[in-house]
Amino acid sequence: MSTTRRQFLSTALAGGAAAALTPRRANGATKSLTVVHESSFIKGFDDFFVKTLAPEYEKATGVKVGYEPVSVGSMLTRLTTIVETKSGPEIVATGLNWPHLFDQSLLDVSDIAAEIGKKIGPWHDNIFDAVVVNKKWKALPWGNIGQLEVYRTDWFKEVGVTKFPDTWEDLLTVGRMLKKKGHPFGFEIGHGFGDNHGWMYPLLWSYGGREVDKDGKTVLIDSSETAKAVDFCRKFYQETMIEDVLGWTDVSNNKAFFGEQISCTNNAMSILIVGKRDFPEIAKVTDHGLNPQGPKGRFHLYNPQSHAIASHASDPAAAKAFLRWLYDDKQLSRWLVAGEAYYAPFLHGYDNHQMWNADPRYLPFKESLKTSRLHGWPGPAGAALSESNAKYVLVDMFAKACRGDATKDVIATAAAQLKQIYKAK
Amino acid sequence: MAVRPEPFARSTAISGRALSRRGLLEREGIFSWLMLAPGVLFLLAFVAYPFFYGIWLSLQQRQVSQAGTFVGLANFVTLYHDAVFWQVTGNTFIYVVVTTVLKLTGGLAMALVINQHFRARNLVRAALLLPFIVPTILSTVAWMWIFDPTFSVINWLLVHAGMIREGFSWLGNKTLAMVSIIIVNTWRGIPFYGITLLAGLQTISPDLYEAAAIDGASVGQRFRHVTLPIIKPIVIIVTMFSVIFTFSDFQIVYALTHGGPANATQVFVTYAFDLGMSGGQLGMGAAAALAMLPALALLIVGLTLYLRRE
Repeated sequence: MSTTRRQFLSTALAGGAAAALTPRRANGATKSLTVVHESSFIKGFDDFFVKTLAPEYEKATGVKVGYEPVSVGSMLTRLTTIVETKSGPEIVATGLNWPHLFDQSLLDVSDIAAEIGKKIGPWHDNIFDAVVVNKKWKALPWGNIGQLEVYRTDWFKEVGVTKFPDTWEDLLTVGRMLKKKGHPFGFEIGHGFGDNHGWMYPLLWSYGGREVDKDGKTVLIDSSETAKAVDFCRKFYQETMIEDVLGWTDVSNNKAFFGEQISCTNNAMSILIVGKRDFPEIAKVTDHGLNPQGPKGRFHLYNPQSHAIASHASDPAAAKAFLRWLYDDKQLSRWLVAGEAYYAPFLHGYDNHQMWNADPRYLPFKESLKTSRLHGWPGPAGAALSESNAKYVLVDMFAKACRGDATKDVIATAAAQLKQIYKAK
Repeated sequence: MAVRPEPFARSTAISGRALSRRGLLEREGIFSWLMLAPGVLFLLAFVAYPFFYGIWLSLQQRQVSQAGTFVGLANFVTLYHDAVFWQVTGNTFIYVVVTTVLKLTGGLAMALVINQHFRARNLVRAALLLPFIVPTILSTVAWMWIFDPTFSVINWLLVHAGMIREGFSWLGNKTLAMVSIIIVNTWRGIPFYGITLLAGLQTISPDLYEAAAIDGASVGQRFRHVTLPIIKPIVIIVTMFSVIFTFSDFQIVYALTHGGPANATQVFVTYAFDLGMSGGQLGMGAAAALAMLPALALLIVGLTLYLRRE
């Protein structure tokens, strides 16, 4: 018996060693590429890539293009593992300020960006902050996932409001009335990944507050403007919302909206899109409004969705060729239509694109691009910004004020955190 | 004349076949290492390497996708001066201590009950294991609905029973959010204690209980003087494992609250994840994750020493 066991072991070891030592097949021309994306809320957008674009490209070039979707909110983690292990998909999707964060692991795509800008541009000015690092384009944006006010037109009409309020103070007044009628507001103030910052940065900016200056060294959060924004937020929360929003993550406001628990929230277009598909009666009475103005203007937050080429790509030329083809109007235009205007392109050539005509309720997302800024604006879009977001500095400043902490205390805490993060004095 | 065995008489034979594979495998020393090798390699690759790499990372200023710079203990010093880190430390200890006490008490009660003879005992045993069997993230999503202000079954029951006028904000209130994650962790962890302690209870000879009963010992006395001393080593081991698992519990907190509201439920692992993965500060994230090591090491060493002394 023991001989048999040992024979088995020696055979297994010999087999394993032989397999490990077998030489790899030499690489020829690139036969396949993989693109990794966050799974889209718009099923047709993913489907169009897989069922139409990828087969068309394969037919034209012989290169098979794989599509790896990752769950919503997980793309940053996936991207981290790809660049840290230098393996996996060659073409990666980026959002927010990630081209800055992953700068050293992404290839320069300035040449393609220039071509796209020439053909269907020019590019919107404010996109450069997000994707141009040290004068090099590190990613090619295909569209913005905007965050706007989403509200119930029927309930707003019940209190005599037929047009979405233009200022935060007006929205507060409407919110008070609606809460009394059992239709509170629900703006996320918890640790989600988008719907919290989506309205908090614009609120701060519209009152004149800033986290940090352009130099990335001067922390500006401790100001009377910030104090005004914090005081407003506390009032806004206490007089228009439910307590639960303090613990909400990104799914919570969608759930509450479809549960007919709230009359207004800040969200991407996903509520309307999902409503049209699964809750048509609610979708009929759902509309979008621009973020209200504050004393210092109107702002929105942008989240540019882009494609980048990972530096570990074995054939960068093949990856570039595919992106050049994908961003040609013939492909990009159809893909954006399949995306049902969920992604607002940063290209002026698409200002009057047919995708905007499908539903007038899409138009505020186009309009919002003009006043959109990146998280942490006007500070630099580097690693410190990511750390500040990951630590929820701004979110928790507002959240603590909402639960009753003093304005000066919450600002002091945020200022101390930002000084540590930005290594400021 | 004593005849000595010839332990080395095979030297000639061995030298003759020293180079043969079969001969090498015949030697117990080599064969045993070969058998151990997969396990050892697995531990080296998936436990030792990540652990030491984590320590190395924690000593670096290491941003994602960039080369690191050795900074010694600077990351730990930064965390020491970070108010959120101390809030996270407090949260973690509350979470671990309260859940451990509840799981131990509940698990022991569960084990004592399912150790009794009653109809459908096996079915009940299987059912009680369910919380531990169901994937954590799946059961946590179910708990999200249970704690949801609109759809919460707990709120519905309390309101309809006339006990409260308005439902609680389970995840929005900082105290209730901590209570919520403690409830879910306890619910999920009790079967682990229950089944492990049940195994211990089943090793106790019924003769001991009979003898104690004959001596006039009450139920409580039998539990205290017969049951507890025998299962004590198991209690210690299961507590040790549970504390380790709870310290590193990620899924429940991440899925339910993501550390909110305002860091009220942020624990070491979720904070480390936010710093490392969301913030791209891999060195700082590793330092935050390692911050729980001293407490865990002390606990493990203390409990192991106690166990050996016993």
